[in-house]
Amino acid sequence: MTEPSLLLRVDSVVKTFPGLTALDRVSLDVRSGEVVAVIGHNGSGKSTLVKVLAGVHTQDSGAATPVDGAEIHFIHQDLALVGELTTIENLNLVKASGASALHPSRPTAERARARDLVARFGEVFDVDVPVRALTPAQRAIVAIARALDGWTHGRNVIVLDEPTESLHRSEVDVLFDAVRRLAAEGAGVVFISHRLDEVLSLADRVAVLRDGRKVADEPVSSMDHDRLVELITGASVTSSVARAGTRRPDADPVLAVRGLVGEAVAHLDLELYPGEVVGVAGVLGSGREAVSSLLFGAVEARADTFAVHGEPYPRRSPARSIRRRMAFVPAERARYGAIRPMTARENVTLPQLRTLRNRFGAVVRRLEQAEAARLMTAYRVVPPRPEQTFALFSGGNQQKLVLARWLRDDPAVLLLDEPTQGVDIGAKATIYDAVAQAAAAGTAVLVSSSDAKELLRLCDRVLVLRDGRVAAELHGEDLTEHRLVVEGYGLERPAPPSGGPSPNPRPAQGEP
Amino acid sequence: MIRALSFRNISAVYIFVAMFIVFSIWIPEKFLQVGVWRSLLDAEALTGLAAIAALIPLVAGSLNLAVGAQVGFTAILSAWLLGRAGLPIALQLPLVVVVGALIGLVTALVITRLRVEPIIATLGVSSILLAGMAWLSGSQQILDLGPDYREIATTQVGGVTLPVYILLAVALVTWYVLERTPVGRRMYAAGYNPDGARLAGVRVERLQVGTLMAGGAIAALAGALLTSRINAGDPTVGPSFLLPALTAVFLGSTQFRGGRFNVWGTIVAMYVLAVGIKGLQLGGSPRWVNDLFYGVALLLAVALAQWSPVVHRTSAIRRVTRLLRRRAT
Repeated sequence: MTEPSLLLRVDSVVKTFPGLTALDRVSLDVRSGEVVAVIGHNGSGKSTLVKVLAGVHTQDSGAATPVDGAEIHFIHQDLALVGELTTIENLNLVKASGASALHPSRPTAERARARDLVARFGEVFDVDVPVRALTPAQRAIVAIARALDGWTHGRNVIVLDEPTESLHRSEVDVLFDAVRRLAAEGAGVVFISHRLDEVLSLADRVAVLRDGRKVADEPVSSMDHDRLVELITGASVTSSVARAGTRRPDADPVLAVRGLVGEAVAHLDLELYPGEVVGVAGVLGSGREAVSSLLFGAVEARADTFAVHGEPYPRRSPARSIRRRMAFVPAERARYGAIRPMTARENVTLPQLRTLRNRFGAVVRRLEQAEAARLMTAYRVVPPRPEQTFALFSGGNQQKLVLARWLRDDPAVLLLDEPTQGVDIGAKATIYDAVAQAAAAGTAVLVSSSDAKELLRLCDRVLVLRDGRVAAELHGEDLTEHRLVVEGYGLERPAPPSGGPSPNPRPAQGEP
Repeated sequence: MIRALSFRNISAVYIFVAMFIVFSIWIPEKFLQVGVWRSLLDAEALTGLAAIAALIPLVAGSLNLAVGAQVGFTAILSAWLLGRAGLPIALQLPLVVVVGALIGLVTALVITRLRVEPIIATLGVSSILLAGMAWLSGSQQILDLGPDYREIATTQVGGVTLPVYILLAVALVTWYVLERTPVGRRMYAAGYNPDGARLAGVRVERLQVGTLMAGGAIAALAGALLTSRINAGDPTVGPSFLLPALTAVFLGSTQFRGGRFNVWGTIVAMYVLAVGIKGLQLGGSPRWVNDLFYGVALLLAVALAQWSPVVHRTSAIRRVTRLLRRRAT
């Protein structure tokens, strides 16, 4: 390749909202064959930058223009898929150029094409079911496949807006391989992420945003993890809290389950003790993402025995689980975690309003407001305004509110599913602290996560699921990132170091 | 304070003032009569009840298109039980209300057990009720209800008829439950996000059943009062309650509570719309203007309700208030 040509030029873009400068003279060049990572806290201006590029927002001054007819393709965090349509139909929403809108569809050919596109990501799934029924990771793959499908000529910039949020580490690798291939073919890639490791392993260049300003734009070779954290937060943070190990040695299990079967889980035995933090790991489809909703009664499940506080709990539902002092922070915050149009106050008090009633059965507003204010301070929610609509908080603060809601009444069992999905580093620390505190206070915590570092940091022991069963239980010195990957895939030999051209590890299950 | 009086928040009140001025100048001799206002208050009380009957399930997420048919059916049932079956009022009135609640129950079961979307379920129920009405009445008025029944809707206390007080009482109870109790909070949560609400421990299906039953009972009350008011069972009147009721509920949601369905917004919107209709009628407009007016109002109300630039609004207001505070100091 000769001189890499410029595809996208962002020049001194300023964008202000009432009371806020979202972007302050931000410049960024993207050249052919280059992967540029843009990182920063929630609220640092990343999303605004993407929206300016997409034309959703118009900048106050400056320019953001593709050079010489380059085309920009976006993959947004919310993926912009139509949930009711199948993978095939979603792919076809962007018709290949030249085809008439009334051109009859050719089911067989389209199915084959959809499979091919999806197969580029090493993960073949049913392309005939509505994408709503797919897992978040599969949906991300559909969205990415669709963007690739829309490419008509050689000058392309692809903007990936936190595409890996719901992907498992290994899927991230597969995606990254594809991204590198695209870059090698001459595309420019803008990669927006919270995850520092990913940025360091994928990007050629890193631009760091903080408070709307670009504070660094350097080759990735001159960066390391600590320096990135420093740039992002504007201060050096070294907070690596080793687990204190707060499990109560002589206590009875709070939750004891034998033979749990349902959704992706084939058979699960589990005992949770007060004060311990248990992780659930596993690749996509291993049952990892289903465990907590099955335990909470959100999704129907059978079990040989299911006991909470030593009492049998045969017919499960969220309402009954809450009465047994269980709490559940689901993944997909926007859809399941909260009632977005309601205020922060209403959201944090929703699961338990009884304690706030007067003798006429009315909720005492004064009590409720005090409670909401107390929780927002305790969990460092910014801004600490109980009357602000939930949807108007940033992602990290929304998650703090969801957590606050469930920790409010000192639950006996806390089930967390991807607790830091779409959350910035600052909020992450708050959430980890809160979980550790809850455990110290005697709560039994279960964390399902695709983030190995998170599990290492939080958990006393980790159950690694494979094909809906526990493949391994890791604790103590066995609990390493390496072992998590090895057990997750059922690899005989140690996995090759990630980042290199890996021989596409596949789950050891009979996939079509 | 400024927020409470902003056009966005109480537009209906401003619209009312504007209409009042226009009609007062245009047709003062007809419009500015105590009798006109008194009869308006009375006549629209039933629309108000129908609106609350639609409001309650809607808060919990079920749009009820059967409200008009529910009022109509229970009105005919009232007349039939009195005139044909010869029941005493003390038995007939409770029975009608119970039947109303049962209609709500059946609708709710269709929605929760058969998993039919509320809008379709209530459309179907509506059609079935219309058939029931025609069957009971033979598509004719049921007369000869006896002298006492008429008293219910026409008795005046302090110059205002009983239905107005009934509306006020029902509205008060509804307001208390919706805005002050945990049940009301859960209803809103269920209406906004059923999945999220369920995971927060809200029994969404139970709320749907409860709200549709409550709505059914209130619609039945409106039906019984309707028959009392016109002293006959008229199969043509009831269904026409649907449009004004829904319009009031949606327009009401743009009032006072920043986009939330609420009782007082509904009642105010309902009367403001009624004043508009009345003024046009007194001004000599043809009858079809009614339908035109409600149709346009419904579309505007829903459009207005969905256009909620909450961020801009609050930030704009915050800026203004900050400015005022700075001046004050």
